[in-house]
Amino acid sequence: MSAATATAPGTTAKQLPIADRHEVKRTVGRLFRSHRAQLAGIAVLHSVAAVAGLAGPFLMGRFIDEVTAGTTLARVNQIALILVGAVVVQAVVTRFAQRLSMVFGEQVFAELREEFMHTATRLPLSVVEKAGTGDLVARTTNDVNKLQHAVRFGVPRVLVCVVTIGLTLVASFLTDPLVALALLVGVPPIVVAVRWYLRRATPGYLRESAAYATVNGTITEAVEGARTTDALWLGSRLRRRLRGDLSEAFAAESYTLGLRLRLIPALDTAVAVAPVAAIVWGAWLVSQDVTTVGAVATIAFYAHQMGGPVFDLVFWLDELQVAAVALARVVGVGLVGPDRTASGEVPASDEVRAHEVRYAYREGHDVLHGVSVDLRPGERLAVVGPSGAGKSTLGRMLAGIHPPTGGTVTVGGVPLVDLPLEELRGQVALVTQEHHVFVGTLAENLQLADTGASEEALWEALEAVDARGWAAALPSGLATEVGSGGHPLSPAQAQQVALARLVLLDPHTLVLDEATSLLDPRAARHLERSLNAVLTGRTVVAIAHRLHTAHDADRVAVVDGGRITEIGPHDELVAAGGEYARLWRSWQAG
Amino acid sequence: MRPLPLPDPGTPPLSSAARLLTWQAWRQRDVLTKAIVAGSVSLMASAASPLLLGGAVDSGLAAGFGSELLVWCGWMLVAAVTIVVSGVFSHTYDVENWLRASFSFTTLVGQKATRSGHAVTKKLPTGEVVAAVANDALRAGDMFAMTGRFVGGVLAYVAAAGYLLWQDLTLGLVVALGIPVVGGVLALLVRPLQRRQQTHRESVGRLTALGSDTVAGLRILRGIGGEDVFSGRYARQSQEVRRRGVRVAGVQSVLDGLQVLLPGLLGALVLWLGARAVVRGDLTAGELVTFYGYTAFLAWPVQMATQMLQMTTNALVSARKILGVLRVTEATPQADAPAAAPPSGSDLVDHASGLTLRPGRVAALVCPDPDVAAVVATRLGRFDDEAESGTPVTLGGVPLAALDKEALRHRVVVSEATGHLFSGILGEELDARGRATEAELTAAILAADAQDVLDSLPGGLAGELPEKGRSLSGGQRQRVALARALLTDPEILVLVEPTSAVDAHTEARIAERVAAARRGRTTLVVTASPLVLDHVDDVVLLSPEGSVVTTGTHADLLARGDDAGTRYRAVVGRSLADGHDTLEGATR
Repeated sequence: MSAATATAPGTTAKQLPIADRHEVKRTVGRLFRSHRAQLAGIAVLHSVAAVAGLAGPFLMGRFIDEVTAGTTLARVNQIALILVGAVVVQAVVTRFAQRLSMVFGEQVFAELREEFMHTATRLPLSVVEKAGTGDLVARTTNDVNKLQHAVRFGVPRVLVCVVTIGLTLVASFLTDPLVALALLVGVPPIVVAVRWYLRRATPGYLRESAAYATVNGTITEAVEGARTTDALWLGSRLRRRLRGDLSEAFAAESYTLGLRLRLIPALDTAVAVAPVAAIVWGAWLVSQDVTTVGAVATIAFYAHQMGGPVFDLVFWLDELQVAAVALARVVGVGLVGPDRTASGEVPASDEVRAHEVRYAYREGHDVLHGVSVDLRPGERLAVVGPSGAGKSTLGRMLAGIHPPTGGTVTVGGVPLVDLPLEELRGQVALVTQEHHVFVGTLAENLQLADTGASEEALWEALEAVDARGWAAALPSGLATEVGSGGHPLSPAQAQQVALARLVLLDPHTLVLDEATSLLDPRAARHLERSLNAVLTGRTVVAIAHRLHTAHDADRVAVVDGGRITEIGPHDELVAAGGEYARLWRSWQAG
Repeated sequence: MRPLPLPDPGTPPLSSAARLLTWQAWRQRDVLTKAIVAGSVSLMASAASPLLLGGAVDSGLAAGFGSELLVWCGWMLVAAVTIVVSGVFSHTYDVENWLRASFSFTTLVGQKATRSGHAVTKKLPTGEVVAAVANDALRAGDMFAMTGRFVGGVLAYVAAAGYLLWQDLTLGLVVALGIPVVGGVLALLVRPLQRRQQTHRESVGRLTALGSDTVAGLRILRGIGGEDVFSGRYARQSQEVRRRGVRVAGVQSVLDGLQVLLPGLLGALVLWLGARAVVRGDLTAGELVTFYGYTAFLAWPVQMATQMLQMTTNALVSARKILGVLRVTEATPQADAPAAAPPSGSDLVDHASGLTLRPGRVAALVCPDPDVAAVVATRLGRFDDEAESGTPVTLGGVPLAALDKEALRHRVVVSEATGHLFSGILGEELDARGRATEAELTAAILAADAQDVLDSLPGGLAGELPEKGRSLSGGQRQRVALARALLTDPEILVLVEPTSAVDAHTEARIAERVAAARRGRTTLVVTASPLVLDHVDDVVLLSPEGSVVTTGTHADLLARGDDAGTRYRAVVGRSLADGHDTLEGATR
């Protein structure tokens, strides 16, 4: 079951914030500081392993020098034993160092994602309603997954590379500082190329992944809309679009390939030239008797050994840069401030009153111009009016989703936005077009409102919305896994589950905003009885489609241009001969 | 590099995964050949390095700093330049191979998804089709990208091993055989590692699904409650993922350790044997350096061979998934020899219900059970030959299935109540035929009363419509779909409950304008709304079982005293009847 989400007409979806560099750095710093000891341990172990790994070339160089001076088989055995010892030490330490760093990566990543989810599930109601969930879903899936590689492997890998390169350089200089100077010829091309590359790589790879996301999006749409594609003969248009998407992916790939085609030769050159430089320079030094052939061979091998870590390091720096962008989006979710502070006041009654309510999505552009309406407990108020008149916005105000820009909406004398969210839910609930079945059992899907609800209470709620029949017929009843990947529920059944939740939540006032307009007409018809059961005994504000809804309501409010232009019982409005009466007559004449 | 994607991905064999991969390999044989040549040159040049290093050491020891040494260094520079230059070509061709293969598979899947009608959704979950592109096409491409370096690696291995054997049989054998043995031992660990990685990946998949599911329903969680339950559930699964990750780390770190230990011990063995040979005078110091260098170098081709094996295995698995999509048969395939098109103005007849759409008339279809009317109207569009085989529909006497499909789709358009909206520029998405003028666009938007959509999308007609029209309300989406259907301007247009999600004000306007826009053109609207019925030429009343009861005008049927008139009033008067004392109409 996929979520159908829509923002109110007339509002544009607002993006969640993205953290700036400073904020990202602070988060990384905080994560590292809280694991200081572990990180130090990892660094020490990797250093020991790297030092042991330097033994091979060193011992080979020593042997060359000794053999020229004349040596014995016993000395050869001795050198070989030392080398075996070094290899064993390096292998064993590597085993523990790697394990420790991977466990560290797992732990940090788990903390990061759990913290993210904790923050995300506590986003202010108004923000969730306004921004929609698309952006948040993308952050939960794409961005968190992009981080996974970087945190689990990238951070430890970078550490290993830096330690290895540093220690190899140190070892070279310890072997013979004069010869080791030759290695520095490799440094300028590497530094220049890497700096050039890293500045351009992140936008390049982001463009690439955006291009593939578009390709996947096109395929998703093609499959989900397969019937419409067929009906309207849109196939060739979609194929053209896919070709366009792939051309963009190709352009993005060509760009990053171009970047790499400059980086790789530079690194290759540095890695290949450094040993040659060491040999030429070293040989001259040998001829001057300031060093030995063995030392030169050792340093040439060290130069060769550094190639791997250098390539590795550049690759991971690249990945970390891309991950930093994902991290900025993950951390950004935490930057949303609260939208309400509870005043601690307790409502004196169940009466909801709107007084002079104004609201502007953009400053200076009021959508509501001072709307006042008192809901009488138990009444049914139908809100009618042309699209874009502000009906949905009024509905959100009455449900306490957004604080009004001007005026107040109160329940029992307390502003709705001064109530803690848990308290507000028990008072007023908004029922929108959205229906979503969570992954989990049917019982879990119902228990949202009341985690302690007994099985009996759940069945009663299902009974109330006329869903007991199909629920009882499920393979494992309430324990049946539903939602994505579980037992499929039809859109109408999903909406019944949503209504059963409302029965359990039991608010005294309900605001219905086109509750079924996203369902196909057939499913919508099947829901009539269920909805009726939920409405019984509550104050209801129904933003209506159909005129007979208004006809059957206790009162009708006609909203036009952000104002209530007419309000009263159906018969009175018809008698008054206004806009409502005109519409009603055209309907009846039909 | 040739610009991609290529215009025609070709017609792939569907018999087996291996056939599919070899078919693709043959299609890109030119690029594969180039990649193999470049990869071979690059790896052979790398293979020369230890040899040249050894030569330089020997000449340095024997002759000191002189011309001979400089010649060796000159050769080393030549090798370096070769590595650098061939590396550029090798990487370029590898990428091109990857792109050629994965774009080709992506295009094939895309073609299938856009041609098969709803058969693809009926046979496979959406996620699986998307994964065929998002994952499988790319994994299959990996194999093609690796081929050049793999072949180069094999050549370099043979050359280096040959040289070593020729130089010193014992040492040569130790190196040439030792490396594959080390590779084999390490490969033994790869399987348990992959198993653990697999369970880890699965748990990550569950975690991601759980996370996206939780935030997708966040409006409900924040509106009704249960945030703690859900973030707690996520945290538990997250810890499960961590535990599995730690299990991976256990095997992986052992593998990492062995990857140091085994080649390291082999290197030590070579150094020991070689040093003894040097002491005995059988080997020069430089040759020892070369041997030692090769113990490091030869591990590389072995690693590539293991990787190639893994990628081939993955590519076969992925090719099977891609085949799963490619094997879907279309819901309404093109007839082998399409019948001649009947002249325009032919009757469209549904034989099962007795419904005939008369040319040039705007008609409405009314039924006590609206679902039945929708089913009858929908099959006029031929969406599923298998399901509709028992309910023949003919145009000018010719069964729909016998007609040319593209021509049929242009003559008869059935627009369902909740049509899918695609993302894109609003103006372009509305104009499905790609031929509407600005004036026609404006007229269709006016007829569907969708001007408010222009205001709510930044940029209006040039604005970006999100996927499924997400930023629009249900009513707005329906009106956009209606405008799109009107703009296809077909000879015969069937609209199924086009106003089910709009308010009465709007419905009244749409009813009048759509009827005016289609006046004189064959049109059928499934509806029970008096606002709409009042504007059509004919009303067709269906029995609850779906056969035509009678045909007349709205006013005529309302006034008729016979049984059909009573039935008709019962249907269209339902919304006016007083028995409904609730707000249930809000759901209609």
